[in-house]
Amino acid sequence: MKTLLPFLLAAIAYAADPVAVRLVPATFELHREGAAQQLLLIAEYPDGSTQDLTDAAQWSPNAPAGLVTAKANPGPVQVTATHGKLRATASGRIETAAGPAEFRFRAAIGSILTKRGCNSPACHGGVKGRGGLKLSAASLFPQDDYEWIVKGGEYQVLSAESKTPRVPRINLQNPAESLLLRKATGAMPHGGGKRFAVDSPEYQTITNWIRQGAPFGPPEDDTSRVAALEVYPKILTLEKNQKHRLLVTAVMANGRREDVTAQALYVANDKQIATVAESGLVSPAALGETSILVRAAGQAAAVIVGVIGDPIANYPTLPKSNFIDEHVFDKLRRLRILPSALSSDAEFLRRVCLDLTGTLPPPARVTEFVRSTDPKKRERVIDALIATPEFTDYWTFRFQDLFRVALFANGINAKWSQMYGEWIRESIAKNKPYDRMAWERLTAQGYDGPTRHFLPYDVIGSPEETMAEEVRVFFGRRLECAQCHNHPYETWSQDQFWGLAAFFGRLFKMGDTGNEYVVFDHPLNEGMGNAEVNGKIETLHPRTKAKLTPTLLDGRAVPPSDQANPRKPLADWMVQHPYFAEAAVNRIWAEFFGRGLVDPVDDFRSTNPATHPELLARLAAEFRRNGHDLRALMRLIVTSRTYQLSAETNPTNRADRVNYSHALPRPLLAEVLLDAIGQVTGVAERFTTTVTASGKVTQQTPSGTRAIHLREPDLFHSRFLDLYGRPNRLALPERSGKANLGQALNMLAGPIYNEKLAHPESRLQKLLASQATDEAILQDLYLTALGRPPDPAERQQILTALSTQPNRSDAWKDLFWAVLCSREFAENH
Amino acid sequence: MQRRSFLSAGALGFLGLNLADLLRAKPNGKAQSCILLWLEGGPSQMDTWDPKPTSSFQPISTNVPGIQISELLPQLARRMDRLSLVRSMHTRGSDHPQGTHYAITGHEVNPAMQFPSIGSILAKETGARNSMPPHVLTPHWEKARQYEDYFRSGFLGPEYDPMCIPDPSKPGFQINDLSLPKSVSAAAVENRKSFLQMIDRRYRTMVEGAEHAQMDGFQTQATKMLLNPAVREAFDLSKESDKLRDRYGRDAVGQSALMARRLVEAGTRFVTAAGFHSNSWDTHAKNDEGHRDRLCPPLDRTLSTLLDDLKDRGLYDSTIVLAMGEFGRTPFVNNDRGRDHWPNCWSLAIGGGGIAGGRVVGASDADGAQVVSRATSMGDLFATIYKAFGIDWTKEYDTPIGRPIKIANSLEDQTGQPLNELL
Repeated sequence: MKTLLPFLLAAIAYAADPVAVRLVPATFELHREGAAQQLLLIAEYPDGSTQDLTDAAQWSPNAPAGLVTAKANPGPVQVTATHGKLRATASGRIETAAGPAEFRFRAAIGSILTKRGCNSPACHGGVKGRGGLKLSAASLFPQDDYEWIVKGGEYQVLSAESKTPRVPRINLQNPAESLLLRKATGAMPHGGGKRFAVDSPEYQTITNWIRQGAPFGPPEDDTSRVAALEVYPKILTLEKNQKHRLLVTAVMANGRREDVTAQALYVANDKQIATVAESGLVSPAALGETSILVRAAGQAAAVIVGVIGDPIANYPTLPKSNFIDEHVFDKLRRLRILPSALSSDAEFLRRVCLDLTGTLPPPARVTEFVRSTDPKKRERVIDALIATPEFTDYWTFRFQDLFRVALFANGINAKWSQMYGEWIRESIAKNKPYDRMAWERLTAQGYDGPTRHFLPYDVIGSPEETMAEEVRVFFGRRLECAQCHNHPYETWSQDQFWGLAAFFGRLFKMGDTGNEYVVFDHPLNEGMGNAEVNGKIETLHPRTKAKLTPTLLDGRAVPPSDQANPRKPLADWMVQHPYFAEAAVNRIWAEFFGRGLVDPVDDFRSTNPATHPELLARLAAEFRRNGHDLRALMRLIVTSRTYQLSAETNPTNRADRVNYSHALPRPLLAEVLLDAIGQVTGVAERFTTTVTASGKVTQQTPSGTRAIHLREPDLFHSRFLDLYGRPNRLALPERSGKANLGQALNMLAGPIYNEKLAHPESRLQKLLASQATDEAILQDLYLTALGRPPDPAERQQILTALSTQPNRSDAWKDLFWAVLCSREFAENH
Repeated sequence: MQRRSFLSAGALGFLGLNLADLLRAKPNGKAQSCILLWLEGGPSQMDTWDPKPTSSFQPISTNVPGIQISELLPQLARRMDRLSLVRSMHTRGSDHPQGTHYAITGHEVNPAMQFPSIGSILAKETGARNSMPPHVLTPHWEKARQYEDYFRSGFLGPEYDPMCIPDPSKPGFQINDLSLPKSVSAAAVENRKSFLQMIDRRYRTMVEGAEHAQMDGFQTQATKMLLNPAVREAFDLSKESDKLRDRYGRDAVGQSALMARRLVEAGTRFVTAAGFHSNSWDTHAKNDEGHRDRLCPPLDRTLSTLLDDLKDRGLYDSTIVLAMGEFGRTPFVNNDRGRDHWPNCWSLAIGGGGIAGGRVVGASDADGAQVVSRATSMGDLFATIYKAFGIDWTKEYDTPIGRPIKIANSLEDQTGQPLNELL
């Protein structure tokens, strides 16, 4: 408890007065009679924290709890909120000349379906709807929703037709008998239970709508189509006794802003940390971080909520190496978390060697580095590591994983996987700009270069799968849900998905020997004598069966032409799209921290927010500015103090797993672990293959081949690598790194550990033969395996234990085994 | 946002068996385990279970009136009352990787998703018994590794991956990592563990991770297992009489089926007996010779012996036996006198574990080319197996990103329906 004391003392009399208050938003416009705007009164405190005083303030003119409603008198309006001695003013403009708002289905009815959860993904907004009724999530596609309600019918995933005869879900003659109302009020059995009462405003609105003939209103246009949803604040910190309102604004396609706070649906991700009321009022429950999902008007957004502890007195000014630290430390200060101290030299060296080169630092390097007094030694070692051949080997391996180099993924011929892997190696060796790498892969044609990933299992992949993979790799987004249906959580529609897939619709392979294929895009109007492809040249929409023109996500169609590689305009667009740099930096970040700023790294979506959105944007901007230079990006990351923090925690940051307040231990990747065992034991693994390009000869890799050098996991068998989670690369790799029983059995009984230790050429056997003292062997073992010398207590204890053992050689084998099986060895920290 | 750790509950079991497994209700169907006799390559339906004029072989009567099968399977014909036939399988994937993936997971290959195999799903749903690994594949053929991957657990996690063991028919047969090497004594294991504690102490006080507790638990279990002969014995075919080993057949097909029976008896839930390896049944050339000389005789012998052996040991009523490949073969013969891949319409045999024998589901047309009644998808077959185990076959798993995946996935996004006429 001793260490807690300074922090307990820190809970000083904190009831400080705010230094300023302001209204959010500071300006607003109301365009129709009856339109409303929520205002929040935000107080700022000396330590930079804020508080929501909306409900405690006096409002003038009268605006109950900050809600301003447009009456029939247009003109400018000033709203003032007063709290104690502080006051703030917002200026608004009210235009009510056009009278009350025109009826629109989405705004009037769709918003009820959203607010009452009817169209949430768990109910009718799910992929296939519920009970035959399919609604779009948060009313993204109001025209579709309208048809399913007014015309009726049962939704089918693979066809635009209704499964059953269409019976309207409303009753124009007798609105009260409408299925829509009877289900929602619980008058009829309803899987979703009662959503609103018969005397509720929702019931009234829907009844009136049906009475008026259930119109749709004018078609959606730029004044009604919502382009984005903004939530204030993006990151919310709450002390345990505070509450805070959220403010949700829909930005229309024409730029106009509309308050939808009252229409939005709020869901707290972890109710143990914070809860949220129907009105958007957030209450804390326990210390920690969670997020709140907000859905309205077809869109979704998320707010990060941190429930914070007591203030820390004299929060130190933290040294910063670059902008990464500014963003990370700023959030930590707001969350009242102290980062760990800077890592020790030995801790840093092992970490950075493993992260940049997948290789343990040699013992001599450790000693030299720790002894050096050069103040720039960390920068120097980083630059030296980036220039090593091991750097190229390691990052070639990382990108061969991501780009899926494997026998079966690249045309079932080692010639092709080797060629594809070599393209990656060259790109890394030359530090090819990442946008160029992506462009080359996306547009690949012909015999050589990165074309073979288009040939999984030796057949041209379907356009939709190929496209979904490129989007996941380069945009970090999972569009594949939209293959069969509109994306359940995102605004991706099935039409957008297939428009994009159509860019890959003409991919074709030609050649007859089975070994000498050429991959290219099929001409448009010419038979190539290949019935399969001639029939597939048109990409058809799976539901509507309409012929598709390649179309970018922004709606820009690129009519096909024989003179142009259809994937070039796609690649041009992709590498310049903001998603591209954002996804790239996030991926690289995760390689160094064990988690992405958006995590999983390829699951960017509005409902999975970045922990540090501004840092992500800044990193992406910097990456683009540097010409998509991967090495510069890595250098930026590893020179940050954030990266160099110790893994040792303090009471304020022990529980933190997502804010980079300390280094998080990460299990070594299977290949890196096996190489490290080879390095420590001095006995490198030899890999064999039973299938080769030419035939079925068993082949052994040349000595010196490391696990990270292996290109095709499906060619080089290794039980050890499989146990430790080497992916087969037949699907996009997701390494879990989780421990399993097989690993534990292998440690105790498997050949890797036992044979390598007993091998006559092993480091241990050589050391034992060299008459080295126990102390010298121990020093060498620790430096080699753990990148540090044993501390005095450890040295003492181990040497004593060794001296009591009957057989020196066996005792040392057991000790070597124990080091190789320790968590300190098997993790990067 | 922390990942919840099962281990925080402090309970750990064997092979990833954790508290959640222990609390899980025992399967309440008749079936307790399942043996898949995997006929890799794809047998010809008309030369096995669905005799047709397009076959060079004659149909023979069986011990069930009204059911005829190919003359190539005479011993099985006398045991037809213990196996039912589905003659209307209609599946996807016209080449081996795609077909195997489909047959084992019920889903088409997708580079964005690793689907769990039926064995992994059964392991998850039923949990381990008697400290035995719940999911085993034997033999493990290095050349067929890409297929083996389809038998894995996908997003369910490594604890449901099959334990892949070598060919039990080979003289030097030994289970990987299941017995300590001679050079390592039980005392050395204790010594190693005490060194391990000594070395990791400093690190563990500095850095804490749920993963550490997890690894500790696995190490404890591994030690128990290595020092306990019972589990190892389950894998030891020398405990069987020579006579029985001969009856199964001394080849990979026979001995892997015998291994499957031993494992199921000891508590394993799902065993793939993959003795027919390297696309054995892929008769693109000389289909008739292949089926007559090389393939049907061991199938007839081994499957018959397995059915008898299960019956003798009282395991037939709790063990589903399923014999199938990844697809059927063309009703027409190609220029090499072979038959090519045919997922449109094919046959399989299933029985035991509460699944009736002596019945026929579905029918194909005169050539064995198209399904004419009771088209059956992989999802329907899986649903039948789940129902026999007492598992809700309409269940869906959510992937880590929340995509629902049916455990019994039928065609056109439908949920598979059990073949109730077999239950």
